Amino acid sequence: MSVLEINDIYKSFDDLKVLKGITLHVDEGEVVAIIGPSGGGKSTLLRCATTLTDIDSGSIKIAGIDLDYKDKKSIAAVRGKFGLVFQNFNLFPHYSVRRNITEALVSVHKKSKEEANAICDELLAKMDLSDKGDAYPCNLSGGQQQRVSIARALAASPDILFFDEPTSALDPELTAGVLNVIKELAVEKMTMVIVTHEMNFARDVADRIIFMNGGVIVEEGPAMEVINNPKHERTKAFLAGY
Amino acid sequence: MDWDQLLSTLKQLWQGFGFTFGIFAFTILFSIPLGLLVARGRMAKNIVVSSLVRFYISIMRGTPLMLQLLLVYFGPYYLFGVSTGSIQWGPFNYRFIATVIGFSLNYAAYFAEIFRGGIQSMPIGQYQAAQVLGFSRMQTYFKIILPQVVKRVLPSVTNEVITLVKDTSLAQVLAVTEMFTVAKNLASSQVSVMPFIAAGAFYYIANAIVEIAMNRIERSMNYYS
Repeated sequence: MSVLEINDIYKSFDDLKVLKGITLHVDEGEVVAIIGPSGGGKSTLLRCATTLTDIDSGSIKIAGIDLDYKDKKSIAAVRGKFGLVFQNFNLFPHYSVRRNITEALVSVHKKSKEEANAICDELLAKMDLSDKGDAYPCNLSGGQQQRVSIARALAASPDILFFDEPTSALDPELTAGVLNVIKELAVEKMTMVIVTHEMNFARDVADRIIFMNGGVIVEEGPAMEVINNPKHERTKAFLAGY
Repeated sequence: MDWDQLLSTLKQLWQGFGFTFGIFAFTILFSIPLGLLVARGRMAKNIVVSSLVRFYISIMRGTPLMLQLLLVYFGPYYLFGVSTGSIQWGPFNYRFIATVIGFSLNYAAYFAEIFRGGIQSMPIGQYQAAQVLGFSRMQTYFKIILPQVVKRVLPSVTNEVITLVKDTSLAQVLAVTEMFTVAKNLASSQVSVMPFIAAGAFYYIANAIVEIAMNRIERSMNYYS
C-alpha cells in the first residue's frame, strides 16, 4: 500500500517552473532517497509534500488522506500523519529538549503529560540522548540537535518521515550519529523519504533512489543500480562529482 | 541649608510622584498590548490596513508628544464641543486620563516598531516547524514566536521604558500635578534650584529601579540563546 502518492504535480514560483510533472509513490516500509543537483526541485518537492508550499496542479495523498490546500481540515489531518526533519533542525530554542518533543503531543494531539513524557523517554533512549531531556538546544552539538529533531518528528507516530538534507548543516564528524539513527529507523521499516547529498548513505539505506534535475525525475530505480550503473547521461555526470 | 524646607519639598515631590507613577504604569499597561496589535496591523497583508497603521505610526513618531497631549485634551471640546471638565474616573480627572491616552497612543507606535522588528527577525524555520507539527496559528504565535520575540526586543523595550519615566514630565503641559509640575512650582516659590535637583534624584532613582528590574528579566531569559 502506498503511504505517499504524488501524482503529476506542477509548481511554479512566478515565472520559474520548479516542478514539471512529478509522480512519486512510496510504499509502506520503503525508504526512498532523492538526489540531484541544487535547484533541481528536490526541496520544493519535499515542501509541497509536507504542506509548506501549495501546488499548482496534480494531487498529493498521504496515508490515504487527500491533501487539499484550500481545505484547512485536510491540511490539519495530513499534518498528523507525517514528520519532517529540517536541514537546520528548527528546534524551539526556548524549550527544553523534552518540551520540544512533548509540546505538540500535549497541545495538538491532546495527550496527557504523563503519556507524552513516556513517549519522550522512549525516543530519547532510542536517540542515545537519555540524559539530555532537561538540556536546551543551544547546549547540544549539531548532531545531538538533529537527533532531537528526529525524535520530535517521530513523537506523534507518523506514517511517513521526510528528511530535508538532514546532515548538510553538520560537521563531517557529527553526521555518523544522525545517519546511524536513520539507518536504524530503516531497519524498523519506517517509511522514509530522504533528500540527501550523501551518496554512500543513500546507497546503503535507501531501497530506491530518485534522481531529480530541472524539475523532473530523470532516473529512478533500486539504490545500487542508480548509484553504480546510472543509465542517464545527466545522472552519470552528477554522480561523477562524488 | 533649611532642612525643614527640604523635607517639605521632598514630601510634596513624593505626592507628585504618585501621578508620575500613575502615568507611567497606565501607559505601560495600555501601550504594550496596543503596540502588539499595531505591529500586527503594520504587517497585515491587507494593504488598506497596513497603510493606515503605517500612517498612524508616522504621525505619532513625527510630531511632538506634547502637541499630541494637547490635542487629546482640547480636541474633544474644540472639535466636537464635548465638555470634558466633569469627567471623573475614581481619583482621575480628564487631565490625567487625557495624559494616559496621549502617552499610550504615542508609545504604542514606538513599541509597535520594536515588536515588528523582533517578529520579523524570527527565522521562518520556526514557523515551518510549528506548522508541520500541527500547531494552530494562535498556538504558534503565543507558544513559539512571542516568547522568543520578547527576549529579542527586551533591550530596546528597556530603552523606551526609561524614556517614558522621564517623558512623564511632559504632562505638566496639561497641568497634571505630577512630580515635575510640583518641582517647577516649588522652585519658583522658593527661588531655588533645590526642588529641581531633588526631582532629578527621584527620576534617577526610578530609572535605576527600572534598569535593575529589566536586567533581572533579561537574565531570567538567559537560559537559552
